[in-house]
This record gives sequence, C-alpha cells and structure tokens, in this order.
Amino acid sequence: MTDPTATLTRPVIVVQNAVKSFSGRVVVDIAELTLGDVPIEGLIGPNGAGKTTLMRMVMHSTGLDRGTITLWPHGAVAGGGVVLSNLPSHRMAGHGVVKSNQVIMDFDKLTIWDSLLLAAAASKSERPHRIFDEPRVFAEASDEVARYLDEFGIREPSTYAKSAGEKKLLDILRCLLLKPKFLLLDEPTAGLPEELTAKVIDEVRTVASQGTAVVIVEHNLDVIWNLCDEVHFMAEGKVIMKGTPAEIRAHRTVVEKYLGEGHV
Amino acid sequence: MNLDWLDAFLIYGFFTIVVVSGLGLLLHLQLGLARIANFGVVGFFGIGMYSFGVLYVKVDWPFGDPWQFLVCIAAGTLAAGLSGVVVGWLVGDLNEDGVLVGTLGFATAVFILATTEKELTGGAQGMGGLQFPYDVGGVKANELLWLVITAAVVGGIVFYVWRVHRSPYGRLLVAVGSNEPLARSLGKPTFRTKLWLFAVTSAGMGLLGAMYGVMERFLRPTNLGVDITLAAMVALVLGGSARVWGAVVGVVLTVGFFDIIVQNYLPVPVEWYSQALPVMREALFGAALILVLMFRPFGILGDMRRDKLMRSLHGD
Repeated sequence: MTDPTATLTRPVIVVQNAVKSFSGRVVVDIAELTLGDVPIEGLIGPNGAGKTTLMRMVMHSTGLDRGTITLWPHGAVAGGGVVLSNLPSHRMAGHGVVKSNQVIMDFDKLTIWDSLLLAAAASKSERPHRIFDEPRVFAEASDEVARYLDEFGIREPSTYAKSAGEKKLLDILRCLLLKPKFLLLDEPTAGLPEELTAKVIDEVRTVASQGTAVVIVEHNLDVIWNLCDEVHFMAEGKVIMKGTPAEIRAHRTVVEKYLGEGHV
Repeated sequence: MNLDWLDAFLIYGFFTIVVVSGLGLLLHLQLGLARIANFGVVGFFGIGMYSFGVLYVKVDWPFGDPWQFLVCIAAGTLAAGLSGVVVGWLVGDLNEDGVLVGTLGFATAVFILATTEKELTGGAQGMGGLQFPYDVGGVKANELLWLVITAAVVGGIVFYVWRVHRSPYGRLLVAVGSNEPLARSLGKPTFRTKLWLFAVTSAGMGLLGAMYGVMERFLRPTNLGVDITLAAMVALVLGGSARVWGAVVGVVLTVGFFDIIVQNYLPVPVEWYSQALPVMREALFGAALILVLMFRPFGILGDMRRDKLMRSLHGD
C-alpha cells in the first residue's frame, strides 16, 4: 500500500446525483461519491454492479442521464473545479483524467511503437501542416517509451500487438504515457500473465506515489487487497460500502453474498 | 515550338491521368488512412472549378493576368476548402452509410446548382471565357505547359501524402480510422481532425477542379459527372487505398489504359467516341473494381505496412 498521509496534492473527482439507465434499467445511481481521497482506491462488486459504467461516465464516453461529475485538480477544497460531465470525452486526457479499457481496444493498423508514440505526441505536432515533426516527437518520447518496452519485455515493438495480453498491456502503457493526474484502471490485470501483473502493479504504485490518484476496478481481489488504500463496494448501481481493505473484508457476509465464497 | 509530333488527345489523356491521380491521392488520405469513404469528390472538384470560373469571368477585376488568374484560383481553392469544412461538419460523426449518402448528396447538389444557376454558371449551355494565364505560342504548347504545371502540383500532393505517412499527423489519421473512441480517450480531438482533413483535401480537390476547368476552357455541368469520383475511387482501390502510390498505380492502369491506349492506339470505330466509349469505360472500371475486391481486396500494392515504415524511420 502507498502512504495515505503523503502530502502531495491529489486531484479529486466528485460524483453527485449521477444516474444512468439502459433501456429503463438503472445501472448507476450514485447520490454522492468522492474519488481520489487516498492514493489508490479500489472499486469492487459483482458483475453488473455498474463499476465499468461509472468509469465510463467519469470519462464521459457514456453520457449521464442526470447529475454531475466534477474534477477538482488541486483537491476538494482548492477551487477551480472542472465539470467533466459537460466536456466531450477527448478533453479528459487534457485535464489529466485517463482510463484504461476493460475490453481489449487497439489500433489494428498501428504498430506498438506507433501506438505508444501516438499517446505521447502533443496535439500541436499532429496538425495537417506539421509533416516534418516525426523526428521531434520521437526524440521527446523515445526514451520513456523504450524504458516501458524494456521493463515490460516487449521485444518486437516495430510489429503489431498480437496477443490479447500484449494489447491489454499496450492499453495501460498508453495511459501511463499520457502522464495522468487521475488514472482509472478497468480490470488492468485481466488477461495478463502473472509476472506482467506484478510489473503493472509496481508501476501503478510508482505513479500513485508521485501524486497521481488511481482508481482501480478489478476482479482479482488479491490485487485489490494488496494494492488499495481504500475500497468502494458497489452493488446494483450504488456504493453500498466504503472502507480500508481490512474493513471491507471484515464484512464477510456482504462480500460473500455478492462475490461468492472464498473472496475474503 | 514545333509540336506537330504530339497528338492533342495524348496531352488530354495525360492531363486526365494527372488530375485523377491527384484526386485519388487526396481521397487516399480520407479513405486509406482515416477510413472516410467520400463519394462526393467531384462536388469539391466542381466547387473549385466553378468558383474559379465565375470569379474569373464574371467579376471585373482591377488587375489583369496573371494576378487575376492567381487570385481567382486561390479563391476557388479556398471555397472548396470551406465547403469541405461544412460537409465534414455535417458528416463527421455519421457512420459509413451516412458519409456515403451525405457526400454523394453534396456532389449532386453542386451539379444541380451548376445547372440551375444560369446567370452565374451559364447553366447547361456552359460558360466560356477561361484562358491560360500565359501564351507560349499556340494552343498545343499552352496545353502542354498546363499539363506540366498541373503535374508539378500533383507532384506536390504526392510529396505531401508521402510526408503525412511519415508524420505524427498521419499516425493520428490512421488511429482515427482504426479506432475512433480509443483515439478520443487518448485526448485526440477526432472530430476536429476529420474537419481539418476535409478542409485540406477538399481544398486540394478544388484546386485540381479549377486547373481542370482551365484546360477545358469551357465549363459545363457535364464536367461534374459521377465518373470523376468513380475514376478516383476505382483507381485508388485498385492500386491500394492504404498505400501512397496506390492511386497513381491505379490511375495509370485504369485511366491510362483506357484514355491513352484504347482511345489513341486501338482501331476503335469513330462513331464509338461519343456514346459507346464512355459507357465502356465505366463498365470496365466497374469490372476492374469487382475483380480486385474479389481477388486482391487491399489492391495491387497491398495493405499499409506501418511495421516496415517504422523500421525504416526509427530502426528496429
């Protein structure tokens, strides 16, 4: 676990009266939820609890039926809030709010290098008249990209990502290259081999210790219990419990009722 | 200059190859990289052609050629670019079917406007009064020089497209075409990217339209038939829509084969020229498209190879 008392100023995301329903079925209905109070938060709950939908609502890739989601870049009391739920989804990364995807998402025509350079490139280098900017983008990003490639053992970065695990990893690396201030990870270790899971967890700890707020949705509860400073338990669209991993695990009956036996 | 050896039809054939190659290259940026199937190429081409023509012929400019010519051709290019922004804004968030119908509808609207706005365009009778901004001695010499100038412009387009493939902008276009929601989640303004793409490529199509109008010297709505869009589209898909040289290879094999080999060197009966040949041309282009989609769906040059490109740019 990271040190929750660290004095770094972390951004906070406040969800208020946020409702989302699909075909009349309410999937998320949250009166008030603050994310980012501690360095690493977990979001757990059974399938269909609304975890992924909530993450997508924060990113505004899924619109809200009503309610607001606000980013406070310098903490809850510091002012200068940004109403994320009023912004188009492409503006999130500019405010430092970045999310990895639950399902595998990749650019099928881009190589691994391409994909990572795309994440690292500033938008001013991507204008139609900037046709000579590739060397500059490469020079600025290549050291960091090469470090990730080396650290995660990607041996042929000039080719396309082939396996599901490689694509999943690439998704996380793209997020890290965006230098997130608020990082949402939706099942980051699903489909990853064990040694890569450990490396991803290390990397998440590192960015959290440097001031990034991290929220992680994960079905592998060992990851949640070991990594998170605080855990939100979601069921039927609501956060029904909040506490440290130990406190959540202490509610054995509730957790087992939703997740099945053997998870605590 | 004695150009008796040169057949005027040959100049015209090569000119068509050059212009359609330019259109195909611009379409390649839309279709090959960003996967936007624009079936309204001739609409932007027509906006450029008629904006240039109307401004050049109908407006009483305080200065003569070459400035009048250059100002009008720049205005035609700009008008086409602006129309690209409007069309891009309308179709940017639509799916493939919506883009197809929207762009085709735009091209039809341009054709109808060219026909009905008689005071401006001369309607179906057409509009004369266009001329080359120079006179180097004789029609054929002027046309040859115009072919060379147009080829230089298309050479510039080839260079731009070649550079785009090797730039962060090209990577962004491929990303937008591959997975737009993912590109958005990385902070890429995908709608604005498509709008700019439409603006730049439509401006290029408009410039080519204006240059085509100069060569024709007489503008008719029949210049804006769907055959130009189809020639560019078929050639691009035949050559390889994702490759820089795909459009050029495709145009040489289709327009080149038909407009130069068939029309100039095969013993075709004279009466075929007005009716039968244009129909045969469309039928052969259509057959070529079907065959290539059946047997080589990525075109003769094959699919995009970013892996090779990245190795050549940045090593292994």
